[in-house]
Amino acid sequence: MKRERAAAVLSRAKGLAAEIRWFLGISLSATLLFPESAAPADVSQGAQIAATCASCHDQTGGGQAIPPIAALDEQAIVKAMLAFRASESPSLVMHAVALSLSDDEVAATARFLADRANAGRQP
Amino acid sequence: MTDWTRRQIGGLAGGALLAVAAPHIVRGQGRAKVVVIGGGIGGATVARYLGDMKSIDVILIEPNSTHVTCFFSNLYLAGLRSLASLTFGLETLAEGHGITIIRDRAVAIDPAGRAVELRGGTRLSYDRLVVAPGIAFKFGEIEGYDEAAAKIMPHAWIAGPQSELLRRQLESMDDGGVFVIAAPPNPFRCPPAPYERASLAAYYFKQFKPKSKILILDAKDKFSGQELFQDAWSRHYPGMIEWLPSQFTGAIKAVDVAARSVVTEGETFRAAVANIIPAQKAGLIGEKAGLTDASGWCPVDPVTFESTLQPGIHVVGDSIIGGDMPKSAFSANSQAKACAFAIAASLTGSPQFPPHLFNSCYTFLAPDDAFTNALTFAPEGGRIKTVKMFISKVGESAEVRRRTAHHAVGWYSAFTADVFGGGS
Repeated sequence: MKRERAAAVLSRAKGLAAEIRWFLGISLSATLLFPESAAPADVSQGAQIAATCASCHDQTGGGQAIPPIAALDEQAIVKAMLAFRASESPSLVMHAVALSLSDDEVAATARFLADRANAGRQP
Repeated sequence: MTDWTRRQIGGLAGGALLAVAAPHIVRGQGRAKVVVIGGGIGGATVARYLGDMKSIDVILIEPNSTHVTCFFSNLYLAGLRSLASLTFGLETLAEGHGITIIRDRAVAIDPAGRAVELRGGTRLSYDRLVVAPGIAFKFGEIEGYDEAAAKIMPHAWIAGPQSELLRRQLESMDDGGVFVIAAPPNPFRCPPAPYERASLAAYYFKQFKPKSKILILDAKDKFSGQELFQDAWSRHYPGMIEWLPSQFTGAIKAVDVAARSVVTEGETFRAAVANIIPAQKAGLIGEKAGLTDASGWCPVDPVTFESTLQPGIHVVGDSIIGGDMPKSAFSANSQAKACAFAIAASLTGSPQFPPHLFNSCYTFLAPDDAFTNALTFAPEGGRIKTVKMFISKVGESAEVRRRTAHHAVGWYSAFTADVFGGGS
Protein backbone atom coordinates (compact mmCIF):
# COMPACT_ATOMS: atom_id res chain seq x y z
CA MET A 1 0.00 0.00 0.00
CA LYS A 2 1.22 3.45 -0.87
CA ARG A 3 0.71 4.92 2.60
CA GLU A 4 2.77 2.17 4.14
CA ARG A 5 5.35 2.67 1.42
CA ALA A 6 5.41 6.41 2.03
CA ALA A 7 5.66 5.80 5.77
CA ALA A 8 8.48 3.35 5.14
CA VAL A 9 10.30 5.92 2.99
CA LEU A 10 9.87 8.56 5.68
CA SER A 11 10.93 6.10 8.34
CA ARG A 12 14.01 5.14 6.34
CA ALA A 13 14.78 8.78 5.77
CA LYS A 14 14.40 9.56 9.47
CA GLY A 15 16.58 6.55 10.23
CA LEU A 16 19.16 7.93 7.85
CA ALA A 17 19.05 11.27 9.61
CA ALA A 18 19.58 9.58 12.95
CA GLU A 19 22.51 7.60 11.58
CA ILE A 20 24.09 10.70 10.14
CA ARG A 21 23.66 12.46 13.47
CA TRP A 22 25.44 9.60 15.17
CA PHE A 23 28.15 9.55 12.53
CA LEU A 24 28.81 13.22 12.78
CA GLY A 25 28.68 13.13 16.54
CA ILE A 26 27.03 16.49 16.62
CA SER A 27 23.57 17.55 17.51
CA LEU A 28 22.27 17.67 13.99
CA SER A 29 18.65 18.17 14.73
CA ALA A 30 16.22 16.01 12.87
CA THR A 31 14.22 19.13 12.35
CA LEU A 32 16.96 20.48 10.11
CA LEU A 33 16.46 17.67 7.68
CA PHE A 34 12.81 16.96 8.29
CA PRO A 35 11.53 19.95 10.18
CA GLU A 36 8.14 19.37 11.75
CA SER A 37 6.68 22.84 11.51
CA ALA A 38 8.57 23.92 8.42
CA ALA A 39 8.44 20.58 6.62
CA PRO A 40 6.92 20.31 3.23
CA ALA A 41 3.24 19.88 4.03
CA ASP A 42 3.35 16.66 2.04
CA VAL A 43 5.35 15.72 -1.01
CA SER A 44 4.15 12.12 -1.19
CA GLN A 45 3.11 10.67 -4.51
CA GLY A 46 -0.53 11.24 -3.56
CA ALA A 47 0.16 14.89 -2.82
CA GLN A 48 2.03 15.39 -6.08
CA ILE A 49 -0.77 13.88 -8.15
CA ALA A 50 -3.43 15.70 -6.12
CA ALA A 51 -1.75 18.98 -7.08
CA THR A 52 -3.10 18.23 -10.54
CA CYS A 53 -6.66 18.08 -9.20
CA ALA A 54 -6.29 21.67 -7.97
CA SER A 55 -6.02 22.90 -11.57
CA CYS A 56 -9.80 22.47 -11.85
CA HIS A 57 -11.27 21.64 -8.45
CA ASP A 58 -11.53 24.42 -5.90
CA GLN A 59 -9.33 23.39 -2.99
CA THR A 60 -11.50 25.06 -0.40
CA GLY A 61 -14.37 22.76 -1.26
CA GLY A 62 -16.40 25.47 -2.92
CA GLY A 63 -16.36 26.37 -6.56
CA GLN A 64 -18.95 26.54 -9.26
CA ALA A 65 -19.91 23.92 -11.81
CA ILE A 66 -16.94 21.62 -11.28
CA PRO A 67 -17.80 19.34 -8.35
CA PRO A 68 -15.80 19.88 -5.16
CA ILE A 69 -13.64 16.95 -4.09
CA ALA A 70 -12.20 18.36 -0.89
CA ALA A 71 -14.65 16.57 1.40
CA LEU A 72 -14.96 13.21 -0.35
CA ASP A 73 -13.90 10.05 1.42
CA GLU A 74 -11.27 7.73 0.03
CA GLN A 75 -13.59 5.06 -1.32
CA ALA A 76 -15.85 7.61 -3.03
CA ILE A 77 -12.85 9.07 -4.86
CA VAL A 78 -11.56 5.66 -5.96
CA LYS A 79 -15.02 4.61 -7.12
CA ALA A 80 -15.52 7.84 -9.08
CA MET A 81 -12.09 7.58 -10.71
CA LEU A 82 -12.75 4.02 -11.84
CA ALA A 83 -16.08 5.12 -13.33
CA PHE A 84 -14.39 8.05 -15.12
CA ARG A 85 -11.77 5.66 -16.46
CA ALA A 86 -14.48 3.47 -17.96
CA SER A 87 -16.35 6.17 -19.85
CA GLU A 88 -15.87 9.50 -21.65
CA SER A 89 -19.18 10.61 -20.20
CA PRO A 90 -19.77 12.74 -18.18
CA SER A 91 -16.31 14.32 -18.38
CA LEU A 92 -13.67 14.13 -21.10
CA VAL A 93 -11.18 15.73 -18.75
CA MET A 94 -11.72 13.25 -15.94
CA HIS A 95 -11.70 10.36 -18.42
CA ALA A 96 -8.25 11.46 -19.62
CA VAL A 97 -6.96 11.97 -16.07
CA ALA A 98 -8.31 8.63 -14.82
CA LEU A 99 -6.78 6.77 -17.77
CA SER A 100 -3.39 8.28 -17.04
CA LEU A 101 -3.26 7.02 -13.43
CA SER A 102 -2.49 3.46 -12.32
CA ASP A 103 -4.61 1.80 -9.64
CA ASP A 104 -1.86 2.48 -7.11
CA GLU A 105 -1.71 6.14 -8.10
CA VAL A 106 -5.48 6.51 -7.82
CA ALA A 107 -5.35 4.92 -4.36
CA ALA A 108 -2.48 7.16 -3.23
CA THR A 109 -4.24 10.29 -4.46
CA ALA A 110 -7.57 9.32 -2.88
CA ARG A 111 -5.85 8.59 0.40
CA PHE A 112 -4.04 11.91 0.37
CA LEU A 113 -7.22 13.87 -0.39
CA ALA A 114 -9.23 12.00 2.25
CA ASP A 115 -6.48 12.43 4.87
CA ARG A 116 -6.30 16.14 4.12
CA ALA A 117 -10.07 16.44 4.44
CA ASN A 118 -10.00 14.57 7.76
CA ALA A 119 -7.17 16.76 9.04
CA GLY A 120 -9.21 19.82 8.10
CA ARG A 121 -12.13 18.52 10.15
CA GLN A 122 -10.04 18.12 13.32
CA PRO A 123 -10.98 20.71 15.96
CA MET B 1 50.53 10.57 10.26
CA THR B 2 46.88 11.33 10.30
CA ASP B 3 44.96 9.24 12.78
CA TRP B 4 41.51 8.68 11.30
CA THR B 5 39.03 7.95 14.02
CA ARG B 6 35.78 6.15 13.50
CA ARG B 7 33.98 9.38 14.17
CA GLN B 8 35.91 11.21 11.45
CA ILE B 9 35.38 8.42 8.93
CA GLY B 10 31.78 8.25 9.96
CA GLY B 11 31.53 11.96 9.50
CA LEU B 12 32.72 11.67 5.93
CA ALA B 13 30.40 8.78 5.24
CA GLY B 14 27.55 10.62 6.87
CA GLY B 15 28.35 13.69 4.85
CA ALA B 16 28.22 11.66 1.68
CA LEU B 17 24.89 10.18 2.69
CA LEU B 18 23.55 13.57 3.63
CA ALA B 19 24.69 14.94 0.30
CA VAL B 20 22.43 12.41 -1.35
CA ALA B 21 19.54 13.02 1.02
CA ALA B 22 19.66 16.80 1.12
CA PRO B 23 22.39 18.14 -1.14
CA HIS B 24 21.78 21.76 -0.28
CA ILE B 25 22.09 21.37 3.45
CA VAL B 26 25.44 19.63 3.24
CA ARG B 27 26.86 22.71 1.58
CA GLY B 28 26.16 24.47 4.86
CA GLN B 29 24.07 27.20 3.31
CA GLY B 30 20.92 26.82 5.37
CA ARG B 31 17.68 27.02 3.43
CA ALA B 32 17.86 26.67 -0.30
CA LYS B 33 16.83 29.66 -2.39
CA VAL B 34 14.84 29.52 -5.61
CA VAL B 35 14.39 32.63 -7.71
CA VAL B 36 11.48 32.69 -10.15
CA ILE B 37 11.48 35.17 -13.03
CA GLY B 38 7.97 35.98 -14.23
CA GLY B 39 4.67 36.16 -12.34
CA GLY B 40 2.45 34.79 -15.10
CA ILE B 41 0.78 31.40 -14.97
CA GLY B 42 3.91 29.22 -15.03
CA GLY B 43 6.01 31.40 -12.73
CA ALA B 44 3.27 32.04 -10.18
CA THR B 45 2.41 28.33 -10.02
CA VAL B 46 6.03 27.27 -9.44
CA ALA B 47 6.40 29.94 -6.77
CA ARG B 48 3.16 28.97 -5.03
CA TYR B 49 3.92 25.24 -4.92
CA LEU B 50 7.52 25.75 -3.78
CA GLY B 51 6.35 28.28 -1.19
CA ASP B 52 3.78 25.87 0.19
CA MET B 53 6.55 23.36 0.84
CA LYS B 54 7.84 25.77 3.52
CA SER B 55 11.39 24.43 3.31
CA ILE B 56 12.71 26.60 0.48
CA ASP B 57 13.04 30.39 0.24
CA VAL B 58 11.19 31.56 -2.85
CA ILE B 59 11.68 34.94 -4.50
CA LEU B 60 9.43 35.94 -7.38
CA ILE B 61 10.62 38.70 -9.72
CA GLU B 62 7.80 40.45 -11.56
CA PRO B 63 7.67 44.08 -12.73
CA ASN B 64 3.87 44.28 -12.79
CA SER B 65 1.71 44.31 -9.67
CA THR B 66 -1.09 42.41 -11.39
CA HIS B 67 -1.51 39.77 -14.06
CA VAL B 68 -4.30 39.83 -16.63
CA THR B 69 -5.10 36.36 -17.93
CA CYS B 70 -4.97 35.84 -21.69
CA PHE B 71 -7.42 32.97 -21.32
CA PHE B 72 -10.96 34.37 -21.14
CA SER B 73 -9.77 37.70 -22.59
CA ASN B 74 -11.75 36.98 -25.77
CA LEU B 75 -14.86 37.12 -23.55
CA TYR B 76 -13.76 40.61 -22.54
CA LEU B 77 -13.35 41.62 -26.20
CA ALA B 78 -16.94 40.52 -26.81
CA GLY B 79 -18.21 42.51 -23.83
CA LEU B 80 -19.01 39.38 -21.83
CA ARG B 81 -16.57 39.92 -18.96
CA SER B 82 -14.82 42.89 -17.42
CA LEU B 83 -11.05 43.15 -17.56
CA ALA B 84 -11.09 43.52 -13.76
CA SER B 85 -12.55 40.01 -13.49
CA LEU B 86 -9.48 38.72 -15.38
CA THR B 87 -6.95 40.61 -13.26
CA PHE B 88 -5.10 39.07 -10.32
CA GLY B 89 -2.72 40.60 -7.79
CA LEU B 90 0.31 38.73 -6.52
CA GLU B 91 -0.25 39.73 -2.90
CA THR B 92 -1.92 36.44 -1.93
CA LEU B 93 1.22 34.60 -3.01
CA ALA B 94 3.22 36.78 -0.64
CA GLU B 95 0.80 36.77 2.27
CA GLY B 96 -0.55 33.24 2.11
CA HIS B 97 2.29 31.25 0.60
CA GLY B 98 5.45 32.77 2.04
CA ILE B 99 6.87 34.09 -1.22
CA THR B 100 9.01 37.21 -1.40
CA ILE B 101 7.91 39.30 -4.35
CA ILE B 102 10.28 41.84 -5.88
CA ARG B 103 8.67 44.36 -8.23
CA ASP B 104 11.45 44.67 -10.75
CA ARG B 105 12.55 43.28 -14.09
CA ALA B 106 15.30 40.71 -14.50
CA VAL B 107 17.73 42.09 -17.07
CA ALA B 108 20.53 39.53 -16.98
CA ILE B 109 21.30 36.05 -15.73
CA ASP B 110 24.74 34.83 -14.73
CA PRO B 111 24.44 31.02 -14.94
CA ALA B 112 28.04 30.42 -13.83
CA GLY B 113 27.70 32.72 -10.83
CA ARG B 114 24.12 31.54 -10.16
CA ALA B 115 22.81 35.07 -9.92
CA VAL B 116 20.15 37.28 -11.48
CA GLU B 117 20.64 40.96 -12.09
CA LEU B 118 17.62 43.26 -11.78
CA ARG B 119 17.01 46.54 -13.58
CA GLY B 120 17.10 48.32 -10.23
CA GLY B 121 20.69 47.14 -9.75
CA THR B 122 20.08 44.34 -7.26
CA ARG B 123 21.98 41.11 -7.80
CA LEU B 124 20.22 38.03 -6.44
CA SER B 125 21.94 34.71 -5.93
CA TYR B 126 20.06 31.47 -6.31
CA ASP B 127 20.41 27.73 -5.86
CA ARG B 128 17.88 27.10 -8.61
CA LEU B 129 16.41 29.56 -11.05
CA VAL B 130 13.04 29.22 -12.77
CA VAL B 131 12.47 31.33 -15.86
CA ALA B 132 8.89 31.77 -17.04
CA PRO B 133 9.06 34.67 -19.48
CA GLY B 134 6.07 33.81 -21.66
CA ILE B 135 6.21 34.93 -25.27
CA ALA B 136 7.78 37.69 -27.30
CA PHE B 137 6.90 38.69 -30.84
CA LYS B 138 8.95 38.32 -33.97
CA PHE B 139 8.41 41.90 -35.04
CA GLY B 140 9.70 42.45 -38.53
CA GLU B 141 8.45 39.21 -40.06
CA ILE B 142 5.46 41.19 -41.31
CA GLU B 143 6.80 44.29 -43.00
CA GLY B 144 5.62 47.45 -41.30
CA TYR B 145 4.46 45.69 -38.13
CA ASP B 146 6.46 46.69 -35.07
CA GLU B 147 5.74 47.85 -31.51
CA ALA B 148 4.59 51.26 -32.76
CA ALA B 149 2.26 49.65 -35.32
CA ALA B 150 0.81 47.46 -32.56
CA LYS B 151 -0.56 50.63 -30.96
CA ILE B 152 -2.77 51.08 -34.02
CA MET B 153 -3.24 47.50 -35.12
CA PRO B 154 -3.18 45.68 -31.78
CA HIS B 155 -2.05 42.10 -31.35
CA ALA B 156 -3.93 41.76 -28.05
CA TRP B 157 -1.97 38.55 -27.51
CA ILE B 158 -0.64 39.65 -24.13
CA ALA B 159 -3.73 40.64 -22.18
CA GLY B 160 -4.02 44.08 -20.64
CA PRO B 161 -3.70 47.45 -22.43
CA GLN B 162 -3.59 45.74 -25.83
CA SER B 163 -6.91 44.01 -25.07
CA GLU B 164 -8.43 47.34 -24.01
CA LEU B 165 -7.24 48.96 -27.24
CA LEU B 166 -8.77 46.25 -29.40
CA ARG B 167 -12.03 46.37 -27.43
CA ARG B 168 -12.28 50.13 -27.92
CA GLN B 169 -11.67 49.76 -31.65
CA LEU B 170 -14.37 47.08 -31.98
CA GLU B 171 -16.80 49.24 -30.01
CA SER B 172 -16.18 52.29 -32.18
CA MET B 173 -16.21 50.38 -35.48
CA ASP B 174 -19.08 51.26 -37.81
CA ASP B 175 -21.65 48.60 -38.59
CA GLY B 176 -20.68 46.99 -41.87
CA GLY B 177 -16.93 47.20 -41.24
CA VAL B 178 -14.47 44.38 -41.75
CA PHE B 179 -12.56 43.09 -38.74
CA VAL B 180 -9.37 41.41 -39.97
CA ILE B 181 -7.62 38.91 -37.75
CA ALA B 182 -4.13 37.87 -38.85
CA ALA B 183 -3.58 34.40 -37.35
CA PRO B 184 0.06 33.47 -36.69
CA PRO B 185 2.17 30.51 -37.81
CA ASN B 186 2.82 27.60 -35.44
CA PRO B 187 3.92 27.37 -32.69
CA PHE B 188 2.12 30.13 -30.84
CA ARG B 189 0.34 30.83 -27.57
CA CYS B 190 -3.09 29.19 -27.25
CA PRO B 191 -3.72 27.50 -30.64
CA PRO B 192 -7.55 27.79 -30.71
CA ALA B 193 -7.62 31.40 -29.50
CA PRO B 194 -7.58 33.34 -32.83
CA TYR B 195 -10.64 31.36 -33.90
CA GLU B 196 -12.34 31.74 -30.51
CA ARG B 197 -11.70 35.46 -30.92
CA ALA B 198 -13.40 35.42 -34.32
CA SER B 199 -16.36 33.50 -32.85
CA LEU B 200 -16.90 35.86 -29.94
CA ALA B 201 -16.36 38.99 -32.04
CA ALA B 202 -19.06 37.61 -34.36
CA TYR B 203 -21.32 37.14 -31.33
CA TYR B 204 -20.77 40.80 -30.44
CA PHE B 205 -21.30 42.00 -34.02
CA LYS B 206 -24.45 39.91 -34.39
CA GLN B 207 -26.03 41.89 -31.57
CA PHE B 208 -24.70 45.38 -32.22
CA LYS B 209 -23.24 45.58 -35.76
CA PRO B 210 -24.95 42.82 -37.71
CA LYS B 211 -23.72 43.93 -41.15
CA SER B 212 -20.08 43.59 -40.08
CA LYS B 213 -17.79 40.81 -41.27
CA ILE B 214 -14.77 39.02 -39.89
CA LEU B 215 -11.91 37.98 -42.14
CA ILE B 216 -9.25 35.62 -40.81
CA LEU B 217 -6.04 35.76 -42.83
CA ASP B 218 -4.15 32.71 -41.68
CA ALA B 219 -0.45 31.93 -41.88
CA LYS B 220 -1.49 28.24 -41.80
CA ASP B 221 -3.62 25.91 -43.90
CA LYS B 222 -5.38 24.26 -40.98
CA PHE B 223 -5.95 25.08 -37.34
CA SER B 224 -6.76 23.64 -33.95
CA GLY B 225 -10.40 22.57 -33.51
CA GLN B 226 -11.16 23.51 -37.13
CA GLU B 227 -14.21 21.29 -37.59
CA LEU B 228 -15.75 22.45 -34.34
CA PHE B 229 -15.23 26.10 -35.21
CA GLN B 230 -16.49 25.87 -38.77
CA ASP B 231 -19.57 23.97 -37.60
CA ALA B 232 -20.27 26.67 -34.99
CA TRP B 233 -19.70 29.51 -37.46
CA SER B 234 -22.30 28.07 -39.82
CA ARG B 235 -24.77 27.52 -36.97
CA HIS B 236 -24.35 30.78 -35.05
CA TYR B 237 -22.91 33.28 -37.51
CA PRO B 238 -23.76 32.26 -41.07
CA GLY B 239 -21.95 34.40 -43.64
CA MET B 240 -20.16 36.51 -41.04
CA ILE B 241 -16.77 34.80 -40.74
CA GLU B 242 -14.47 34.06 -43.66
CA TRP B 243 -11.28 32.07 -43.14
CA LEU B 244 -8.54 32.29 -45.78
CA PRO B 245 -5.71 29.80 -45.39
CA SER B 246 -2.16 30.55 -46.37
CA GLN B 247 -2.43 28.51 -49.57
CA PHE B 248 -5.08 30.92 -50.87
CA THR B 249 -3.41 34.19 -49.94
CA GLY B 250 0.28 33.41 -49.75
CA ALA B 251 0.08 34.62 -46.15
CA ILE B 252 0.52 38.15 -44.83
CA LYS B 253 3.56 39.97 -46.11
CA ALA B 254 3.03 43.53 -44.86
CA VAL B 255 0.72 45.95 -43.15
CA ASP B 256 0.09 49.59 -43.98
CA VAL B 257 -0.86 51.18 -40.70
CA ALA B 258 -1.86 54.53 -42.18
CA ALA B 259 -4.16 52.92 -44.74
CA ARG B 260 -5.36 50.28 -42.27
CA SER B 261 -4.63 47.59 -44.82
CA VAL B 262 -3.14 44.13 -44.71
CA VAL B 263 -1.13 42.96 -47.69
CA THR B 264 -0.85 39.30 -48.70
CA GLU B 265 1.12 37.90 -51.62
CA GLY B 266 -1.73 38.37 -54.04
CA GLU B 267 -4.13 40.88 -52.52
CA THR B 268 -4.55 43.87 -50.22
CA PHE B 269 -7.36 43.82 -47.66
CA ARG B 270 -8.77 46.99 -46.11
CA ALA B 271 -9.70 46.64 -42.46
CA ALA B 272 -11.95 48.74 -40.27
CA VAL B 273 -10.15 47.08 -37.37
CA ALA B 274 -7.03 44.97 -37.79
CA ASN B 275 -5.82 42.51 -35.18
CA ILE B 276 -2.34 41.40 -36.16
CA ILE B 277 -1.10 38.41 -34.17
CA PRO B 278 2.59 38.08 -35.09
CA ALA B 279 4.81 35.00 -35.12
CA GLN B 280 6.17 34.29 -31.66
CA LYS B 281 9.26 33.22 -29.74
CA ALA B 282 10.30 32.81 -26.11
CA GLY B 283 10.23 35.86 -23.85
CA LEU B 284 13.32 38.02 -24.24
CA ILE B 285 15.15 37.10 -21.03
CA GLY B 286 15.19 33.50 -22.29
CA GLU B 287 17.07 34.55 -25.42
CA LYS B 288 19.39 36.85 -23.49
CA ALA B 289 20.32 34.14 -21.00
CA GLY B 290 21.19 31.59 -23.67
CA LEU B 291 18.16 29.44 -22.91
CA THR B 292 16.82 29.43 -26.50
CA ASP B 293 17.89 27.29 -29.43
CA ALA B 294 17.65 28.03 -33.15
CA SER B 295 13.86 27.71 -32.97
CA GLY B 296 13.68 30.74 -30.69
CA TRP B 297 12.19 28.64 -27.88
CA CYS B 298 13.73 27.03 -24.78
CA PRO B 299 14.52 23.30 -24.87
CA VAL B 300 14.05 21.54 -21.51
CA ASP B 301 14.30 18.17 -19.83
CA PRO B 302 10.72 16.82 -19.90
CA VAL B 303 10.88 15.46 -16.33
CA THR B 304 12.46 18.35 -14.42
CA PHE B 305 11.97 21.22 -16.90
CA GLU B 306 15.63 22.07 -16.42
CA SER B 307 17.10 23.79 -19.45
CA THR B 308 19.13 21.47 -21.66
CA LEU B 309 21.34 24.46 -22.47
CA GLN B 310 21.92 25.99 -19.03
CA PRO B 311 22.13 23.62 -16.03
CA GLY B 312 20.52 24.88 -12.82
CA ILE B 313 17.95 26.94 -14.71
CA HIS B 314 14.43 25.61 -15.24
CA VAL B 315 11.99 26.95 -17.80
CA VAL B 316 8.21 26.47 -17.79
CA GLY B 317 5.25 27.73 -19.75
CA ASP B 318 4.80 29.14 -23.23
CA SER B 319 8.51 29.71 -23.79
CA ILE B 320 9.50 26.03 -23.85
CA ILE B 321 9.73 23.76 -26.86
CA GLY B 322 10.49 20.10 -27.29
CA GLY B 323 7.30 18.19 -27.25
CA ASP B 324 3.62 17.95 -27.89
CA MET B 325 2.29 20.17 -25.09
CA PRO B 326 0.51 23.20 -26.54
CA LYS B 327 1.36 26.66 -25.30
CA SER B 328 -1.54 27.12 -22.91
CA ALA B 329 -2.13 28.29 -19.36
CA PHE B 330 -3.12 24.77 -18.31
CA SER B 331 0.09 23.34 -19.77
CA ALA B 332 2.14 26.00 -17.97
CA ASN B 333 0.43 25.20 -14.67
CA SER B 334 0.97 21.47 -15.14
CA GLN B 335 4.64 21.90 -16.08
CA ALA B 336 5.16 24.26 -13.15
CA LYS B 337 3.95 21.69 -10.62
CA ALA B 338 6.21 18.99 -12.06
CA CYS B 339 9.07 21.49 -12.03
CA ALA B 340 8.41 22.52 -8.40
CA PHE B 341 8.46 18.94 -7.15
CA ALA B 342 11.62 18.22 -9.18
CA ILE B 343 13.38 21.25 -7.70
CA ALA B 344 12.30 20.26 -4.19
CA ALA B 345 13.68 16.77 -4.78
CA SER B 346 16.95 18.22 -5.96
CA LEU B 347 17.34 20.74 -3.12
CA THR B 348 15.81 19.00 -0.12
CA GLY B 349 15.94 15.32 -1.01
CA SER B 350 12.15 14.97 -1.09
CA PRO B 351 10.84 12.05 -3.17
CA GLN B 352 10.36 12.48 -6.88
CA PHE B 353 7.84 10.59 -8.95
CA PRO B 354 7.26 10.48 -12.70
CA PRO B 355 5.38 13.64 -13.64
CA HIS B 356 1.78 13.55 -14.82
CA LEU B 357 1.39 16.27 -17.41
CA PHE B 358 -1.99 17.45 -18.59
CA ASN B 359 -3.65 20.03 -20.76
CA SER B 360 -7.30 20.92 -20.92
CA CYS B 361 -8.74 23.95 -22.67
CA TYR B 362 -12.24 25.36 -22.74
CA THR B 363 -13.04 27.29 -25.90
CA PHE B 364 -16.09 29.48 -26.37
CA LEU B 365 -18.00 29.49 -29.65
CA ALA B 366 -20.80 31.58 -28.12
CA PRO B 367 -21.57 32.42 -24.48
CA ASP B 368 -23.56 29.20 -24.03
CA ASP B 369 -21.68 27.02 -26.51
CA ALA B 370 -18.19 25.86 -25.57
CA PHE B 371 -16.04 22.88 -26.37
CA THR B 372 -13.24 21.27 -24.45
CA ASN B 373 -10.28 19.02 -24.96
CA ALA B 374 -8.24 16.92 -22.60
CA LEU B 375 -4.75 15.63 -23.24
CA THR B 376 -2.30 13.63 -21.19
CA PHE B 377 1.45 13.62 -21.79
CA ALA B 378 4.49 11.69 -20.64
CA PRO B 379 8.23 12.15 -21.07
CA GLU B 380 9.64 9.85 -23.76
CA GLY B 381 13.05 9.95 -25.35
CA GLY B 382 13.83 13.39 -23.97
CA ARG B 383 10.62 14.91 -25.31
CA ILE B 384 7.06 15.38 -24.09
CA LYS B 385 4.78 12.99 -25.96
CA THR B 386 1.00 12.95 -26.13
CA VAL B 387 -0.42 9.81 -24.54
CA LYS B 388 -4.18 10.37 -24.89
CA MET B 389 -6.26 13.06 -26.50
CA PHE B 390 -9.99 13.66 -26.27
CA ILE B 391 -11.95 16.51 -27.76
CA SER B 392 -15.62 17.55 -27.96
CA LYS B 393 -17.41 16.42 -31.10
CA VAL B 394 -19.36 18.16 -33.82
CA GLY B 395 -23.05 17.40 -33.32
CA GLU B 396 -23.07 17.39 -29.52
CA SER B 397 -26.36 18.55 -28.03
CA ALA B 398 -26.91 22.17 -27.05
CA GLU B 399 -27.24 20.97 -23.47
CA VAL B 400 -23.78 19.38 -23.51
CA ARG B 401 -22.29 22.59 -24.93
CA ARG B 402 -24.11 24.71 -22.34
CA ARG B 403 -22.77 22.49 -19.59
CA THR B 404 -19.25 22.80 -21.00
CA ALA B 405 -19.56 26.61 -21.01
CA HIS B 406 -20.75 26.43 -17.41
CA HIS B 407 -17.80 24.18 -16.49
CA ALA B 408 -15.45 26.64 -18.17
CA VAL B 409 -16.52 29.41 -15.80
CA GLY B 410 -16.09 27.12 -12.78
CA TRP B 411 -12.71 25.99 -14.06
CA TYR B 412 -11.53 29.60 -14.47
CA SER B 413 -12.33 30.37 -10.86
CA ALA B 414 -10.60 27.28 -9.43
CA PHE B 415 -7.63 27.52 -11.78
CA THR B 416 -6.79 31.14 -11.03
CA ALA B 417 -7.08 30.41 -7.29
CA ASP B 418 -4.63 27.54 -7.78
CA VAL B 419 -2.17 29.77 -9.62
CA PHE B 420 -2.35 33.02 -7.68
CA GLY B 421 -3.02 31.58 -4.24
CA GLY B 422 -6.15 30.48 -2.55
CA GLY B 423 -7.21 27.25 -0.94
CA SER B 424 -4.53 25.19 0.74
